[in-house]
Amino acid sequence: MKSSVVRYLALGVLVVGVAAIVWTAVRGDVGDDPAAGPSTAADAESTLAEVTAAESILPDAATAEVTVAETTVPPEPIEVLGEADTLTGLDGWLNTDAASLEEIRAANKLTVVQFWTFGCRNCKNTLDALRQLYTDFRDQGVEIVGVHSPEFSYEADVDNIIEASADLGVVWPIALDTDKRNFHRWQEGRIGYWPRVYVIDGDNQIRFDRTGDGRATYEKLHETVEQLLAAA
Amino acid sequence: MDTFLEGVGAIGVACTLVMLVPAVALVLVARKARLTVALLYVTGAALLTWARAAGHWNVELSGAAVPVAAVLAAGVFVIAYRAKGPLSLSATGAGAAAGALAGWLWRPCVGPKLGEILDNTDTEAARTLGLMLVYMAGALLPALLLAVLPHAVPATKRFLDRLPVAAAGGAVGAAYAITLATGRYDDLVGELYRIATNA
Repeated sequence: MKSSVVRYLALGVLVVGVAAIVWTAVRGDVGDDPAAGPSTAADAESTLAEVTAAESILPDAATAEVTVAETTVPPEPIEVLGEADTLTGLDGWLNTDAASLEEIRAANKLTVVQFWTFGCRNCKNTLDALRQLYTDFRDQGVEIVGVHSPEFSYEADVDNIIEASADLGVVWPIALDTDKRNFHRWQEGRIGYWPRVYVIDGDNQIRFDRTGDGRATYEKLHETVEQLLAAA
Repeated sequence: MDTFLEGVGAIGVACTLVMLVPAVALVLVARKARLTVALLYVTGAALLTWARAAGHWNVELSGAAVPVAAVLAAGVFVIAYRAKGPLSLSATGAGAAAGALAGWLWRPCVGPKLGEILDNTDTEAARTLGLMLVYMAGALLPALLLAVLPHAVPATKRFLDRLPVAAAGGAVGAAYAITLATGRYDDLVGELYRIATNA
């Protein structure tokens, strides 16, 4: 009697477990809300154009309502999380003539630094949101720096990085952190995570620091950049 | 539920395979204590991952820690194989130690739920620890199901109890220890993943 109860319990666990695996595999992506957006840079631009067109046909009253709503809720001040580190011992840069993070910071109001690697699915999930950010704010003095810190040896090959970056539509500067020196130093005392994203302001202070590919994280990133630009 | 499913969804990701492959191998080896070893592995991995995220465990895998990790990796497989029963000290110890080792070595690719857990370990200790256990149960689900299988389908027990099955687990354990000692474990898993996915 007792062994049959154990058996049915075990069977139940087995069925539920297998169902969870099958369901997740069919469903596709990990988690409930990975960062998402248009799938390519071209899509990002067309999305932006659509949004602009939609805004232009809004009736005045609706626009006024939105404006009132936006102005009556003051945004929370954005914390200063500490001074940003620099990038040292890099194996080079892609997609830029700059030779250091300082050079990029000096030329821009805000710098978004993301630690990523092209083989990491969660990193890929963030690229659409980053493309959207780039489309929206690049001409306002925002630069993105993707610090490529490979987990596996095939991700350390520069030719693979160049090919993958082109395929993934990564057009912003990429710092090659092949031995993960910066990956570990920036995330000292904690596990090194992919992806991890920071926003650095003009005073070299970190104003945003989040881990993972959550939609909420990248919406907050977009919001933070917008707010910091408005205050700059 | 979302946290568990995010863990399940991470099963096929190379970052997670680094932790999952030794778990499955250990369950194959621990013939008399599969479920105990699997459950303790999940617990150990969750605890150490959480401790690292919260800043309570900052020991890096370098220098003298490398041979220690390699010896520990080999040792837990031997101890798990020799475990006398599900409640024996060797079964619980091997499972917990192997899980803790996996949690120590793990560098996760982070999804939305895991990101939320990791970002809040220092402010919401109990909640994030519980959620980490849930996530880990999802990410290590194949090892748990393999441990449950002989209880659910007794006919599989005879197959799983065969020496060649334990030997296969032991071979993975030996490879685990050797590649850890030489610093190539991550690369080995990455290369297998690349071949499997044609990346």
